[in-house]
This record gives sequence, C-alpha cells and structure tokens, in this order.
Amino acid sequence: MIFKSDNVYKNKFTPVILPIVIIIIWYIITSVLHLVTPYTLPSPVDVCLSAWDIILSGELLRDSTDTLFKVFAGMAIASVVAIPLGILLGAYKILEDICTFVISILRPIPPVAWIPFSILWFGIGTVPAVFIIFMGCVFPILIYTIDGVKRTDKVLIESARTLGADDTTVLTKVILPSAVPYILSGLKVGVGIALMCTISAEMIGSSSGLGYMILTATNLFDTGTTVVGMLTIGIIGLVLDYIFGKLQSYVFW
Amino acid sequence: MAIEVKDINKSFKTNKKSLDVLKDINLNIETGKFVCLLGPSGCGKTTLLRLIAGLDSPTSGEIIADGEIVKKPSGDRAVIFQQYSLFPWLTVLDNVMFGLNLNNKSKEENLKSAETYLERVGLIEFRDAYPHELSGGMKQRVAIIRSLLNHAPILLMDEPFSALDMQNRHKLQEQLIGVWKRFENTIVFVTHDVDEAVYLADDIVIMDKDPGRIKEIFHVDLERPRKRDSIEFLEIQDRVVSKLDEWG
Repeated sequence: MIFKSDNVYKNKFTPVILPIVIIIIWYIITSVLHLVTPYTLPSPVDVCLSAWDIILSGELLRDSTDTLFKVFAGMAIASVVAIPLGILLGAYKILEDICTFVISILRPIPPVAWIPFSILWFGIGTVPAVFIIFMGCVFPILIYTIDGVKRTDKVLIESARTLGADDTTVLTKVILPSAVPYILSGLKVGVGIALMCTISAEMIGSSSGLGYMILTATNLFDTGTTVVGMLTIGIIGLVLDYIFGKLQSYVFW
Repeated sequence: MAIEVKDINKSFKTNKKSLDVLKDINLNIETGKFVCLLGPSGCGKTTLLRLIAGLDSPTSGEIIADGEIVKKPSGDRAVIFQQYSLFPWLTVLDNVMFGLNLNNKSKEENLKSAETYLERVGLIEFRDAYPHELSGGMKQRVAIIRSLLNHAPILLMDEPFSALDMQNRHKLQEQLIGVWKRFENTIVFVTHDVDEAVYLADDIVIMDKDPGRIKEIFHVDLERPRKRDSIEFLEIQDRVVSKLDEWG
C-alpha cells in the first residue's frame, strides 16, 4: 500500500498473474466456448501458430527491424534538430520569443495530419514515415530541452562565470549537462509517440514494417498475425521504456 | 589585487516604485586584506558583493579591480556562494578542476595540483565522490578549493558558512585564515554574524539598511590566531554590536 512504508511484500511473480488470467479467459471464450468467430477474435492458439509462422519465415524480424529503423531514424533527426535548438531557445529569450508562435501552432497538429503532405513530398516508403515520426517527436524533445535549460540553477551558471567560463563554456559545460535529465524525459516521451506515428504512417503510406504487416494480415482475415503484430509493438514499447528508465537512473542530478 | 568602490548606487524597480538598495557606497580594499561586510539583512551587503564580482551592474558609479573597471565576471574574482554551488554531475576532483581545465595548462599538471589541494584539506579520499554524497561543510570546502586552484587573487564570499553547525563553522573559519595567509588573497566576506566578522576580518565594514549604506569601517587590531574567549575579542565584539545597534 502506498500509505504504509513498512509491510513491503516481496514476490517476483506478482506482475505475471494478470497476463496469465487474461490468456486463460481469452482461451476459454475463443477455443472452449466458441463464443466468437476466429476472424472476430483469434484464439491464443491461432496467435501462437501465426507467430511461429512469421518467426520462421523471418517476416516478423524483418518488419520489426524495419519499424525500429524508422523509429530511430526519425528520433535521431528530431534530436539533432530539437536538442541544439532547445538549448538556444532556452538560453536566449529573444530567440524563444521569435519562435514561440510557430512552435505553439505547429505543436498541437497531430503527426498523422502530416501524412497527406508526406506522401506528396516523399512518395511511399521509408522517408515519409521517418518524416511523420520526426514531426511527432521533435516537439516533445524541444519543449523538454527548453524547460531543462531554463531550470538550470542560476548559482551554477554564476559559479562557472566567476571561474572564468565564457558563454560557450557555460552552454556546453553547465547548461547542457544540467538539462540532460530533462532531455532524456523528452526522448522517453518522444519514443512512445514515435512508435505510434510509425504504425499509423506504415498503415497509410508504406509497404513494409509492423503497421503494414498488421493491415495486410487483417485484409486477408489472418487476424492471428494481426494480434502478433500488435503484441510485438507493445513489447518493443516496453523494452524501449525499460532502456530509457535505465538511462535515466544514470543521470541522478 | 586592490578593489576600489566609487560612488556606487544600486536601485531595483518594483511595480513603478524604485527601491534604493545601495546608496553612495565608497570603499577601498587594499591588496591582501580580509574585509568583512557586516549588517542586518536587507542592507545590500550581498548586492555589493555581486557588484564587485561583476554578476550585477550598478545603477551608477564604478568598481575598479586591479586598475580595471568591473563590467562582467572574471576568473580573477572567484565567488563562493551561500548556496552549494558544486556541479552535481561532476566528481569532487572534476569539480575542483573545472576552472583549471579552462586554461591552457597540461592536464597532468592540473590533476597534480588538484590532488595536492584535496590532500591538504583532508578530502583526497572523496576525490571520486559526487557532491550529493558530501556533507554541507565538505561541499563548501570543495567550493573554496575550486576557487583557490584557479588562483583567483580575489575571493568574494557570501555567507559561505551560514548553513553549517557551529563546530564546522569554526573549523572552516580557521582553515580559511590558514589559506588566506598562505596565498595572500584579498578576501571580501559577507556575514551577519558579529562573532564571525571579528574572528576573520582585518576590517569590518558595518552597513545599515533603508537605504543600504556604509555606517562605519571598524579596524580589528587583534593578533591571529584569535581567541574567542579572550577579553579583547569580547570587547571588540561588544563595540561592533553597539555600532550595529546605533541609530544611523
């Protein structure tokens, strides 16, 4: 309980109880009672068989790496743009004032709203998807970076100055490290958005990746594969979240 | 390095009202002197220190350090703040080497002098610790070493020991006097603690508020090391207290 600090229970298996219960209920509904048709909701057995098929054929690995590649490419470009820009906007009020309107108007536009233009500009394939991902995660990274820069302890900046640091040194040796925890939070938020964007982008303007796999499988009434695709996305998200959580524990300040 | 404060005025604007924080401040601090700025809160002693550091600019007047008008902060005038000011992402060693690494000396040379200093104040075994693992007194000692290593001829200290308990405060005051004698820095030390001022200073600049101004400069003519329980010490303390309490 959150209200009591003592009485901490220890059981490693607690988190897996609920998934097992869900799978059992799912199995009973689909395979034992036959309450729904297989294409409305495939049974766990169908899902396992589909998974086995696309693992053996290499399809799952190919589409997963394809999706992950897009996620990381989009994130990388967004970081290269948003982190330096965020540091400048956070450090210089005039630059922030110049950009604030444009950012405030572009930011609320859902990344998928860029899909029509991304297809017109970049055609079909990897590039438009990367563009959508870029549009999706550039703003959270930017906003978190600006925030992190602004929260830099004034005393640290003044100390550095009285130790002889110039503007550039203050930016790189004080403001940047001080903002790193916030930048990481921005990346963590960004990677979640990136994953969502990728799937949407792949469903519309793409010919590969997990989103494409889900959509084509559903069109063929191969709903087992659809579920495998969905679960794979979930697992990728879980792993990425774990990695960012680990990274965050390294920046303790 | 001598410091000359000439006709300094400083006012802050708050909702249409202008507040005089410092009025007609004139002060000469000779090279190698230990000067305390003493006064009640709101008398502008910290503001004066920040002006000398170049962290703020005066409304009028000028400050001259080593023959040059102070316009911005410089490595020649190190500031030790009341709040802990170590970089939390750097180890003790990297913190004390922050200023050193900005100059063009060799890395090994810097490392050697950093280690020598840490050794001297008994912090060498904490060289790889991070600031959050240190006590308040240790943090301030590291901050002082960081400024000393930088060979700042002027140390500006803003109530650096006010957050420490009495034992630690006395110990650090004693160490500071040792450091000052060895390196012959010019020190300007802000405090509201009469005992601290009498223990440390050659000259005590007694300030008053509304508006912030210098009331009197009090010379402390006591041999060092000073003994807090000596009659002379207590006498001077009494006189400083009565000066502080006088109606300006």
